[in-house]
Amino acid sequence: MPIDAKVVHQVATLARLHVDPSEEPRLVKELTAILSYVEQLQALDVSGIEPTSQVGEGAKAPLREDQVKPCDVRDEALAQAPDRDGDYFRVPQVV
Amino acid sequence: MSRKPDVLETAESIGHAVRKRERSAVEVARVFVERAERSAPRLQTYLHRDAERTLAMAADVDRRVQAGETLSPLAGVPIALKDNLCTHGVPTTCGSRILEGYLPPYDAHVVERLRAAGAVFTGKTNCDEFAMGSSTENSAYFPTRNPWDLERVPGGSSGGSAATVAALEASLSLGSDTGGSVRQPAAFCGVFGLKPTYGAVSRYGLVAFASSLDQIGPFARTARDVALLFNEICGRDERDMTSRAEAKPIDLEGLERGVKGMKIGIPRDLLSDGVDPEISASLDRVTKTLREEGAVVIDVTLPHARYSIATYYLIAPAEASSNLARYDGVRYGFRAKSEDLQTMYASTRGKGFGREVRRRILLGTYALSAGYYDAYYLRAMKVRTLVRRDFDQALQLTDAILLPTTPTPPFKLGEKVDDPLAMYLNDIFSIPASLAGAPALSFPSGKTRSGLPIGLQLVGKPFEEGTLLRVARTWEKKSGDPLGVPPIVNGGGRA
Amino acid sequence: MSATRPAPESPSKTETAPTAGRYETVVGLEVHAQLKTASKIFCSCSTKFGARPNTQVCPVCLGLPGVLPVLNERAVRFAVMTGIAVGGTIATRSVFARKNYFYPDLPKGYQISQYDRPLSSGGQVEIQVGGAWKRIGLVRIHLEEDAGKSLHPEGRQGVNTTLVDLNRSGVPLIEIVSEPEIRSGNEAYDYLIRLKQILVYLDVCDGNMEEGSLRCDANVSVRPRGQTAFGTKTEIKNMNSFRNVERAIAFETERQIALLESGGRVVQETLLWNADKGKAEPMRSKEEAHDYRYFPEPDLLPLDLEPRWIESVRKDLPELPYQVRERLTRDFGIPEYDAEVLTETRALASYYEEVARRSGSAKLASNWIMTEVNGIRNKQGQSIEEFPIRPDRLGMLVKMIAEEKISGKIGKQLFEMMLTRPEDPEALVKSQGLLPIDDEASLRALAREVIAANPGPAAEVRAGKERTFAFLVGQAMKQSRGRAHPEKIQAALKKELEAT
Repeated sequence: MPIDAKVVHQVATLARLHVDPSEEPRLVKELTAILSYVEQLQALDVSGIEPTSQVGEGAKAPLREDQVKPCDVRDEALAQAPDRDGDYFRVPQVV
Repeated sequence: MSRKPDVLETAESIGHAVRKRERSAVEVARVFVERAERSAPRLQTYLHRDAERTLAMAADVDRRVQAGETLSPLAGVPIALKDNLCTHGVPTTCGSRILEGYLPPYDAHVVERLRAAGAVFTGKTNCDEFAMGSSTENSAYFPTRNPWDLERVPGGSSGGSAATVAALEASLSLGSDTGGSVRQPAAFCGVFGLKPTYGAVSRYGLVAFASSLDQIGPFARTARDVALLFNEICGRDERDMTSRAEAKPIDLEGLERGVKGMKIGIPRDLLSDGVDPEISASLDRVTKTLREEGAVVIDVTLPHARYSIATYYLIAPAEASSNLARYDGVRYGFRAKSEDLQTMYASTRGKGFGREVRRRILLGTYALSAGYYDAYYLRAMKVRTLVRRDFDQALQLTDAILLPTTPTPPFKLGEKVDDPLAMYLNDIFSIPASLAGAPALSFPSGKTRSGLPIGLQLVGKPFEEGTLLRVARTWEKKSGDPLGVPPIVNGGGRA
Repeated sequence: MSATRPAPESPSKTETAPTAGRYETVVGLEVHAQLKTASKIFCSCSTKFGARPNTQVCPVCLGLPGVLPVLNERAVRFAVMTGIAVGGTIATRSVFARKNYFYPDLPKGYQISQYDRPLSSGGQVEIQVGGAWKRIGLVRIHLEEDAGKSLHPEGRQGVNTTLVDLNRSGVPLIEIVSEPEIRSGNEAYDYLIRLKQILVYLDVCDGNMEEGSLRCDANVSVRPRGQTAFGTKTEIKNMNSFRNVERAIAFETERQIALLESGGRVVQETLLWNADKGKAEPMRSKEEAHDYRYFPEPDLLPLDLEPRWIESVRKDLPELPYQVRERLTRDFGIPEYDAEVLTETRALASYYEEVARRSGSAKLASNWIMTEVNGIRNKQGQSIEEFPIRPDRLGMLVKMIAEEKISGKIGKQLFEMMLTRPEDPEALVKSQGLLPIDDEASLRALAREVIAANPGPAAEVRAGKERTFAFLVGQAMKQSRGRAHPEKIQAALKKELEAT
């Protein structure tokens, strides 16, 4: 799987991760190495095998009753906000 | 070697002494706090320590003892917590700059349980950033050192939790294990480390790395102590839908029953890939002893286990890339100043996350992205099924599987940091059990000629942590205490 | 018992697309409905609308480090009820999935939704097109969580910020996706009205677009009539009422046709409806193609529903609109049109039933409600629950009219009074002196009075001018304030006129 700087940037954009141009060669090298390593999985015959997304499946977890429970973390939580405007979290404009 | 055991040596004896009022919790806490004052600056085991708070917690336990309350076996026991466990009002950074100064407004489930039990917290231990790593060198703050050789790594990601118990700065500790992050540092630091069955311990309040793999696990210096701590934290929590009622406390006396008639399996096929000869030799010694004690040791195969690393390094980063999306500078943690939102996101995360974390986020995002999902993530999930089946089959023939925890003894700081793949290959023996969701225990089995700890691993059937501890306890009794205590505890230690 | 009527053949051949002529409009609608649970889908915070910002939050819906989702049982039940009501197939196993994207009001950086394996598949909503029923197929219904709210206030010195309120984060939603079988804005409007009606009848959603408990996005394309391949579609968002959905679709249809006619091509893009301008405009920011990187949610086990449980939900399902309509037409013999109007809400249908039973006159009851009651309600903006005349009392009134105890006119007077006076019509008739005059003696006396007061017209009538008779009748009604029996007073007048 060819990974180049362009792909790294595309993925970095999806992940909202700034990648400095100086890091590109290293990342290309590392990701290429890792993806080459995981290529070995392609050799396996997985036809008819169900994927495991949760090892706990089959367990019966009861669902939560629809009841309101008060929670008083809002002040502590808002206090952690890097920027706020009264009751709101504030961020730079979305555009 | 039979010397009179110090009452502070095990959590079990501390607990007894405190409840019987032979020692006050404050007295006990002071000993551990003073030790930490001496060794922690050199070992760098803690990201957050507050001696006053620790002593205050101990004083509180003494009050409860005086009031005649019936207390848990862990009351008064000094316990350290990995810094990815949420502690209300106490800094929880996960070893990352992006959460520098973050104070959770709630306690993790396990923290709640331990508080109620009267545990005395010694502090928040250092770890690889967001639990990603095998050496604790990925902590954004500083690396932790191995108490047995300060030039070497303690393992990771729960390096701080392992080292602090090994160095007797705490009697017990909690870490988290996703691909080996409790077991491997346990082996490197010469202590016991348990990764419970997936779902045995609630993950509510454990900062998520890879949700389908993460489990909180205890570190201790004896098998019985592991059980004591496990018992206090296991079981269904309604706040974690993946936690299971099947997880029941272990009967401590059952650990003394020996291994007569038990069947132990060794996956020879997996061991063909390069194991350090001293570790192999240790495995042989333990095998011999277990046979002498009446266990039947047979060969088993785990044909797909060799694909575990590849499988894991697709699944875990994929889940992590999603779990770490919430660190966006909007509601908490670090935020890079910017004029617009997209730049804010990108610089916050670019600056706030370290190299390994960024690498894994990129890898995971790629593995999930359009066009690649089938070839990578989906395929990995299918191989995971094959690995699980291997374990199911092997465990139909055996009560437990025995194998090394790591392929090598503890390596030197800086040795593998620049080669991520080389670092990942350390996990060859620990990842398979993680993929299967099976309980897995690393126990100290000896040391290398140069005095470094060796650990071996037992993997069992779901919810049979007790079986694993029983085998380890048998070895523990037979082996005596080969390691002793690291020199740093008494002011020594190579540095 | 099947949950829906046997459906007519679909798609209907009756086309009422406004693009008569060369093009056909193809519309699919995605509707998001907030479920009326007390607590959120994955945590126990309240879902109440209108609370002070960031007061209905907890670590889970704030997306703090270390939290986990716990699924609300009632949200599942409501979603299953909806699936059954539209005739969908309920999956015995459905899977939650993460939809990953970054937005300030999406605290975890992903939305927990369903992707490959939704809760319900298939089903339909029937709409009326030109007097005939048309089936609009549904693709699926799935459960997901709502995001919070972002506000974009104008800042000082051009420094703009976005404010985030997470009260709404985690409110349960169902997403209802239709097949692209809608053919016009009108059809879309009817689809939305009827879908909302089903949701409100089930009491799973308030269906209020203005408050945001119901939201709609439209996918619109056109194609030359007769072509089976789809044209390029655009997505329209930001329509805040059913009428705006209708208008937006009409606008976009015209725009696309004009574009194609002039040799252009339709570009796949997302447009925002601007209700003030009456236009759909491309979003300002360059739309990056979304790669949501869906994968199964590892913090939730697959949702396994026992067939027996699904059956029990089916059995307990409240009557659906079409079932109430059928029942009313069957039991009361009223026309379909009436049944349609009277089942606008379940409460109105119940109101009607009581009036019909009390009055013993199904059609008259229907007329009264459709005309008089609804007339007042529309003027006052009242729901039937707020309407001041109790159904038993209205029933009594209608009965009095049906039995000819009072005239329709008197009935209307009483009706007016009853709007502000909570009294039985029988009592009111007496206390207001509105008892009908229909005994011979009183009518004759009244006739004599009217003739005496109007000698000229009386003479004309006697002389043979029949048209003036109506005037005398009118006078008699006026004099008696409508109480005189209409036919009998005529007979009385005739007799008195002859007598002198």
